[in-house]
Amino acid sequence: MFQALIGKAQQFIDIPNPLASSNADRPSKAQLFRHQFRLPDSQSPLFEITAEVTLPKSKKQSPSTPKSGQPKSWDKSNWDQDREKGTHYLGQLHLSEQFLCFSTVNTSFVSTASTSASTAFNGRTNGTGPSGNGFTLPLCAVRRVERLHTQSYMFALSITTWNGSDAGTDAKPGAPAPPKLTIQLEGSRQQCERFCDGLKRGLRQGIKEVEKMRTVGRDCYSEYFLYDEFDMKPSPTLPNGTSRTPPDTGLGSIFKYPGNPRKLRDRSKMRLWHEYLKENGRNATLVRQPDFHRLIRVGLPNLLRGEIWELASGAYFLRLQKPNLYKETLAKYEGQESLAIDEIEKDLNRSLPEYAGYQSEEGIGRLRRVLTAYSWENPEVGYCQAMNIVVAALLIYLSEPQAFYILSVLCDRLLPGYYSTTMYGTLLDQKVFESLVEKTMPILWEHLSSNDVQLSVVSLPWFLSLYINSMPLIFAFRVLDVFFLEGPRVLFQIGLAILRINGEELLEAADDGAFISVLKTYFAHLGDSAHPKSENPKHRAITNFQALMVTAFKEFEGITQSAILEQRSKHKAAILENIESFAKRTSIRNLGPESKKLSTNDLGFLYDRFFTVLYEREQRAKLLQEESDRKKKAAKQKASDIVHGASGNAPEIGRVALGPSPSQMDYDAFREFLAGVARWAVTDSPSSPTKDDSAHKSQNGYFHTLKAKPLNTSPWGSGPEPADHDFMQRLFKKWDLEGGSALTLQNVVSGLAPIKGNRDIMSSIAYFFELYDDDADGKVDREGILRMSEALLFLSRRGVNDGLSSSPSMTSMNDGELGPEGKRRENKDEQFLSAVSAFIRRCFEYADPDHPSRQAEDGVTSAMDKPTVQDTPANLLDLEDAPQTPTDAAANSPLSRPSPNAFGQSTPKPQAVAANAALDPSSPVHITLPTFRMLVLADETLESFFDSGFANSFHLADAPLPSSTVTSPSFLTHSGKLATPGGPAIPALSPGGASAGVVPPGKGLRGMLDNIVTDGMRVAVEVRRRMDEAQKEIDRGGTTRGTEEDDDEDGDDHGRDLLEGAEADAGAASLKTEPSLLDEPVGGEAGGSAAAVPSTPGGTSDVEKTTMFER
Amino acid sequence: MADSTTASAPKPSSSVKLVLLGEAAVGKSSLVLRFVNNDFQPNKEPTIGAAFLTQKCQLPNRIIKFEIWDTAGQERFASLAPMYYRNAQAALVVYDITKPSSLVKAKHWVAELQRQASPGIVIALVGNKLDLCEDDGPEQDQQDGEGVDEQQEDEVARKVSTEEAKAYAEEESLLFFETSAKTGHNVGEVFTAIANGIPEASLKGPKGAGAGTQSAISAAQDSTRVNLNAGNGNAGPKEGCAC
Ligand SMILES: Nc1nc2c(ncn2[C@@H]2O[C@H](COP(=O)(O)OP(=O)(O)O)[C@@H](O)[C@H]2O)c(=O)[nH]1
Ligand SMILES: [Mg+2]
Repeated sequence: MFQALIGKAQQFIDIPNPLASSNADRPSKAQLFRHQFRLPDSQSPLFEITAEVTLPKSKKQSPSTPKSGQPKSWDKSNWDQDREKGTHYLGQLHLSEQFLCFSTVNTSFVSTASTSASTAFNGRTNGTGPSGNGFTLPLCAVRRVERLHTQSYMFALSITTWNGSDAGTDAKPGAPAPPKLTIQLEGSRQQCERFCDGLKRGLRQGIKEVEKMRTVGRDCYSEYFLYDEFDMKPSPTLPNGTSRTPPDTGLGSIFKYPGNPRKLRDRSKMRLWHEYLKENGRNATLVRQPDFHRLIRVGLPNLLRGEIWELASGAYFLRLQKPNLYKETLAKYEGQESLAIDEIEKDLNRSLPEYAGYQSEEGIGRLRRVLTAYSWENPEVGYCQAMNIVVAALLIYLSEPQAFYILSVLCDRLLPGYYSTTMYGTLLDQKVFESLVEKTMPILWEHLSSNDVQLSVVSLPWFLSLYINSMPLIFAFRVLDVFFLEGPRVLFQIGLAILRINGEELLEAADDGAFISVLKTYFAHLGDSAHPKSENPKHRAITNFQALMVTAFKEFEGITQSAILEQRSKHKAAILENIESFAKRTSIRNLGPESKKLSTNDLGFLYDRFFTVLYEREQRAKLLQEESDRKKKAAKQKASDIVHGASGNAPEIGRVALGPSPSQMDYDAFREFLAGVARWAVTDSPSSPTKDDSAHKSQNGYFHTLKAKPLNTSPWGSGPEPADHDFMQRLFKKWDLEGGSALTLQNVVSGLAPIKGNRDIMSSIAYFFELYDDDADGKVDREGILRMSEALLFLSRRGVNDGLSSSPSMTSMNDGELGPEGKRRENKDEQFLSAVSAFIRRCFEYADPDHPSRQAEDGVTSAMDKPTVQDTPANLLDLEDAPQTPTDAAANSPLSRPSPNAFGQSTPKPQAVAANAALDPSSPVHITLPTFRMLVLADETLESFFDSGFANSFHLADAPLPSSTVTSPSFLTHSGKLATPGGPAIPALSPGGASAGVVPPGKGLRGMLDNIVTDGMRVAVEVRRRMDEAQKEIDRGGTTRGTEEDDDEDGDDHGRDLLEGAEADAGAASLKTEPSLLDEPVGGEAGGSAAAVPSTPGGTSDVEKTTMFER
Repeated sequence: MADSTTASAPKPSSSVKLVLLGEAAVGKSSLVLRFVNNDFQPNKEPTIGAAFLTQKCQLPNRIIKFEIWDTAGQERFASLAPMYYRNAQAALVVYDITKPSSLVKAKHWVAELQRQASPGIVIALVGNKLDLCEDDGPEQDQQDGEGVDEQQEDEVARKVSTEEAKAYAEEESLLFFETSAKTGHNVGEVFTAIANGIPEASLKGPKGAGAGTQSAISAAQDSTRVNLNAGNGNAGPKEGCAC
């Protein structure tokens, strides 16, 4: 039921925003919303409305205010009276599934609001933190909502909140009740009603969460602290005598908190916070008023520091959702080992070693557990050096679970990508920092560049470890206080201020060393007076650190979150490219000894192709998933909404630079990979609705419902649809050295290296032979021989570039016309057919029987004359009585061929056995590698195929297939947007349109030949038929030679028949496809049809180009 | 061993940026610590990104001030490396002679430096932890197949023969040393050899492109040899890696 609500709400909220969809880097509205209020990822903005919130006036100022929590009748006079007394805030009220949020910052996420306003964390209430004044209220903390009956034009609610237990009263001690919130909604009656309906539903759900809130609250010091009147050391016993233990407030409560509490004025701060929390609620019910931000700016007191960090960063809300995740994670993985654990172990003793807590097993143990739990929960990040320092610092003030959730928020939100396996976030923010320095301090920047000092080597640790390692701890914690509230911009502001303050000295520094030492000295004196010589004692009292804060937040006030986001998206592409080119260099150098056989260019090409395929597949899978989710969710929505929703939130996973990306290919990915490097790996019959493949089926259903969409939902993206042939499966298996049904890049390189790298006919023959020697006993049996022949036909069906013809076959294939070049090819194809046909024949002639006793008979067979080259194609082309029925069934899966036994059943004849053991299906035969070699070398066509044609059929860097089919850059430029129509036409691969490989009618013999060869299965059937015939001939008692001559005679005629048929087929195929292409000018619907549309109307070309793996 | 004279001599002094690269735990930090403080101890200082240290080295005719960037050990920090080797005039590529994989990694770094770092960079290949295979002559290398327990110091734990590494170093024109940060063996020699190996020309103007014609030629060769990188790496000292 909630889902329905969401769907409904989305109609109002998710109005397509052209801005959002044009920039892939822009976060979605839901993301902005969550970030603004620091909500868990499960939340989405359901309703929003302008509202005025009224809070009771401070008790100090108006002690006459009735005690809150006391029921009160609401009438007009009461309302006005209260209104006068209270403090008012105007802002936006939001409702998500589990939260009611209010902020005075302009937080509108409706489409009419400009996106920049949504990302600006300091709107109207400049400088008061990401969420301004307001609250983020879990619905479980709402105890009562009353509709205020006031004047008719007003729609007001009174909300009573609680922290899970009854408030203390004069008679009964206990924490005070949080303030009552009076909220006046400002919208049409209908809007207000809708909001309230949503709220009601949410509140009903919220009841379940109350227990969680109580659990989480027990770890909050405020609950303990506010139980009584202010006291630095709250009484450890309740009035009724039962003792109570204070919550865990970090290692500091055992090993002392850093710094001198007196100097830090810890007591005064605690008193102020006691006051503030008493009046404004605590943890779940906290309301942010200006004092909240001020109290944080002056530095948090030790005992409350952890809790406020948790609240300000939103980690509290994560913990509220899954209060036991930390414990459960540790229990779940207890005793297990991992790389991350090893790495963590190495660093435990060098994390804030100067702090007493980390000279004890207690502190080390906590640090170990938090880092380990995080690494288990987030295996894609694992552990990154610097996390140890950050967590060590956190644990001084936080319990283990609290630190665990804050670490999550840090890694996911506040420091995105900093600790990822490529550390792209770190590099990106360094670039952003440098560009901000260049902008704000041009003279210093000029000095740095002219002296070749690279700023980021100095500033990187500031950001990566949040200044914890750079500044004395007490100051670093003050930076953290503000950072958790206001977000990443604080790191930039502080960094800029450091440079500004030290500007003069830095202008003297001429190298890294001098630069570093100026800053080291500065950090060491942060606690000193900023104006030691001033007459004014007040000025003298200002420390360097205070001066730093003032400079940071006053002078660099303009460094807003949106400014940083803007810089990030500006530099992101370059940073990712740098990382990727580095990764590529690294990877290519580490591909093992086999890789040396290939050129660096080829390796680079393979690298790109490999990861492009994986990346694209991942994007497609994700988008398809998203689409189907969305479809389920909003079945009634218009298709256009769906498209916009999907594209507005561009997926990013899978890019190498962004962290762990898939690095292994399954068989389907491998097929796609091959289709981009070898023409034969492209299917002849792109998937049709009848194809018996569940994945395809769902695809097709999908097409029909969203037909008008420009979505390229082919499972193969914009590239050609790969074939699926026994040969490809064998190749996959051979390359898959580890046997895990997955290929790494190294597997692919090692697999290709012997083919492409050796250029030695003998090894190439052996390589092929081994593909069919399943049990590696040096023998290929009858079934294998047939499969070999099929493979040869399969590989050659789009022609063979044997390297003998000087001109590259590429060109002759690409232009549709048949020049003299094409003519030559025609002949070649014919030759190949006959060669394969002859090969089969000879195989059985020269095959050895498995049984030695048959040796003699075998001798007889091998004594027969070799067939001539010309006679065999005739046999092969004789389709007159070719069986038609099994074709279709078998065409879909080459593996579904009848087993050898089934095959043999139809023709077991005793005479056959006697006459030719090789052709007797029931008597096993085999050929050995020497035989195979001999047979290949006996035929010029096959010889040249193994000499170069086979190797040349893999197109790597030097002769790539047309780029549109290979790297499909269109996909990449869209940062993974799937809504991309197919790339430009792929003439070479699918001259006929949808069915790649089918030659358009009227192309003469060549086209017809192609058509024959194209249908691999027909050929296979033909081969079998020929086998049968051979057997029949034997049955008839005739000599092989005689039969051949017969066949030769009428061969040509049969051939013509066949060719005519083929032509008709081709025509039919194109007829079938063309209308649909006209219907859908956007094209790209299916893999095969991608070729038909050269350009597309729907703004696909205007997106900036980002090619992932190239450099 | 290491010249750690702090008194300023009248000799001309120039600074040399040196970067240490190599697999984690091969002893980079220990080598630096030995060179700078003549000390060996577990690394107490957490290194974020890279640690920066300086040390002077006295040569007969001049003083070289090394500005040392000791890069972080963890694998994922590798993508930050370009930031540190950028403009470096010297590099110490370290491997652990008891760990063959570390030599593979070292070769990777050598290739990376040769292609991406400033032309004319002086690279020294250093096999560390020599103390773990005390008095093993080159002859013994072949027979110590076991070495399952590399940690045990008294065992002959060598896994990378001197010859193999040396041959590779010669092929790539690298300086080559086997050292022990633990005992200090050969550590000073590495740095002295590097100091001597830095061409006088590049010392005068460490910032400029004064690496001379020879390196300019080699840069040109590099960019033709590797077009993976669209010629960015050698584009000039100002641009370099955008990291
Ligand atoms: N036996 C021995 N151990 C060493 C030597 N150098 C370093 N180590 C140890 O190897 C480990 C890693 O050293 P470290 O300097 O941190 O390596 P880094 O990661 O390359 O900086 C530490 O435990 C050192 O004590 C050496 O020369 N001999
Ligand atoms: Mg180190």
